[in-house]
Amino acid sequence: MFQIKHLLKAALISSLALVPLGVFAQDATTLTVVGVTVPPEEIGTPLDLAYQALVSSFEEANSNVTINVVEQPPEFETQIMIDLAAGTAPDVWRAGQALLPELIEGGYILDVRQCLDITPTLTMDRFIPSILAIHQPEGPEGPVYGVPNGFTPMVFYYNPEVFANAGVEVPTSDWTVEDFLHTTQMLTIDSQGRNAMDPDFDPESIEQYGVRVRKFFILENLAWVWAFGGDIISEDGTTVDGYLNSPETIEAITFLRDLVLENHVAPPPNALDQMIQERSFPSVFLDGQVAMYPRGQWEMVGLQNQENYDPGRVAVVGYPVGVNDATIAFEDGWVINSALADDPAKLAAACSFIDFATSPVFQDSKALTGLEISANQAVADQAAEVSQWPEVQAVFVSEADDARPDPNTRFSFFAIVEPRLDLMMENILAGADVTEEVNLAVEEINRELSRQ
Amino acid sequence: MEYSGNITATPPHQFKEKNLWQRFWSRSNEKVGYLFILPAFTHLLIFLLIPLIFSLYLSFTNWRGPNPQNALFIGLENYQFLLGDRRFWDAMRNTAYYTLLYVPGSMIVSLLIALVMNQKLKGIYLFRTLFFMPVISSWVAVSIIWITLLDPQVGILNYVLQELGLPSVNWLGDPSTAMIAIVIIAIWKSVGFQMVIWLAGLQGIPVELHEAAQIDGANRRQSFFRITLPLLAPTTFFLAITGVIGSFQVFSPIYVITGGGPRGSTDVVVYHIYTRAFEAYDMGYAASQAWVLFAVIFAATLIQVWYRRHQGEGSLF
Repeated sequence: MFQIKHLLKAALISSLALVPLGVFAQDATTLTVVGVTVPPEEIGTPLDLAYQALVSSFEEANSNVTINVVEQPPEFETQIMIDLAAGTAPDVWRAGQALLPELIEGGYILDVRQCLDITPTLTMDRFIPSILAIHQPEGPEGPVYGVPNGFTPMVFYYNPEVFANAGVEVPTSDWTVEDFLHTTQMLTIDSQGRNAMDPDFDPESIEQYGVRVRKFFILENLAWVWAFGGDIISEDGTTVDGYLNSPETIEAITFLRDLVLENHVAPPPNALDQMIQERSFPSVFLDGQVAMYPRGQWEMVGLQNQENYDPGRVAVVGYPVGVNDATIAFEDGWVINSALADDPAKLAAACSFIDFATSPVFQDSKALTGLEISANQAVADQAAEVSQWPEVQAVFVSEADDARPDPNTRFSFFAIVEPRLDLMMENILAGADVTEEVNLAVEEINRELSRQ
Repeated sequence: MEYSGNITATPPHQFKEKNLWQRFWSRSNEKVGYLFILPAFTHLLIFLLIPLIFSLYLSFTNWRGPNPQNALFIGLENYQFLLGDRRFWDAMRNTAYYTLLYVPGSMIVSLLIALVMNQKLKGIYLFRTLFFMPVISSWVAVSIIWITLLDPQVGILNYVLQELGLPSVNWLGDPSTAMIAIVIIAIWKSVGFQMVIWLAGLQGIPVELHEAAQIDGANRRQSFFRITLPLLAPTTFFLAITGVIGSFQVFSPIYVITGGGPRGSTDVVVYHIYTRAFEAYDMGYAASQAWVLFAVIFAATLIQVWYRRHQGEGSLF
């Protein structure tokens, strides 16, 4: 008994000796971050090195913070929803914009205005306004749910060699819808070398198409709707009636349909499928079988990886100017878990991290990796100087001013609407009547909206 | 000799009434039995029954976000909406079309193979193994191989068609042929499993019956249709039931090969539910769709059971 008593005393005294260590440990903060890793096959790439540099330089500058890097799973959007439900979500994560409305509505992410006092160096004026607006659903004076990391507007890629061979002027940023149609007609060539404006042009033996048109409505076709002065959904997201079936939107959709079915300047879906059976579309484009197609900046990496890549075969230009000069922008951003609001030390670390991640220290790497444009205005403005594709980069940056947000970033239910729009477009490009298809889509989408 | 002693009536033995719980614990064999099934039952409870009941509850809510605690109970609204959901019923129609092609198709093909594999031939076990191999192959790997085989330009199927003087087909790109292509793949994948079941059925048929029929002058065709097929009725019934249930749940080839396209022609119910739940995060509504699918499968199974009971096994043919 006596021995036990002494043992307990000794244990108590020795545990007291550990108290200072515990206090010391409390000062160190571990921040769990998702979005600073690459898939295994991309280890060692410039992007991977940029992420590693971000983490190590942040930890160096913030010696009391340790970053717990968590690998981003392939189905991250599903994973983050599960983690949020389970209360195991990371402290900070970088993700695409599509989940933003769900996260905002659920109160899962922090209004980063809370960071402005904690981290005075983090200012909102560093961001390109049109891209920051994606994180400000209530306008510039309202909450800021996360901050943008990088973005890309959709533009038209074109092959200058094909233009030169056809004797067609390359497009400029102020080209119109009429210029676009004329250009595609001049660039569409049949087996006898006749273009689509030739009265003897044979649509059954086309060897070179002017443009690619696909069903992906938001990704590739919404900018056309805006160019024609139309829209697809009301400002408050309660109806598509009067928007999707407005005369302007119908006109835009008919224009796209006619490119395939009437003017024969874009391959019909089956012909397009056959083109890409044996090789990828970028390879087809570089060989000149299709002269133009809409895509974001990420496509440059894919093009560069093709065996037939040649810098002289790739250039970009904005969507044609119509009633509006607009394009759609896709971005990814950094968000902070709202649970950190109750943990001042972690919140300070998180604010400091997103400040670091959106500063030139990390953002300068974007021009080198080439996947997207920095949302940091100063970095984006200088990107063309360090980019491996200066002219291409300059066009992307200039298009940012005309960029409008993807409806998916505004309405949580849009994930239901988008597949319906794609189906509508697929049917129209296969020959269905435009007005009938659009009205059917309006009826079905409005029915969906009625239960939101 | 007369008995003069007192005879007293012995009171009847009073059995002590035991309740159900006491009766259960008084039977040691049963206790051990229940202990044996306890792990399996616990597993079933946690991973099947509780999620099942939870999904039924979800189908009456508007759960859309990450946290189900935020979901509101909305009664039958999801089911009411479902009645007029054209896309869902299109998916149901596509699934029914798939079932109509797949179930008889796979049963006929696998029966023909089983008849051949039931012969006493040299190396028959090797062939049986080969036919079974697709069953144990990954759906993803199989799908990728079939995408190549069905290619309109370089695919072997179109090569055969061209050799026969027929036009090539854009199997997966044409809405009228995409589902047929999926059915061909699914039959190829599952035929080995069904062949094994048919073989078990075939080997259960007494040889004497065929011998007697032969003595009576029956030819092979008559022997097959009058003896083999009727005696395979329980096997047929089993394969029909499991085939219908499985085909209503088809998902993997659609997910990997067509993504529901072209033009929604292969948008089957389970794929439709998946996109609603995990792409649109409309969990409550997706749960109601899943329960309607369950009801349809249940009804289809009941009809088959009813048909078998009322018409007799032989009438399956």
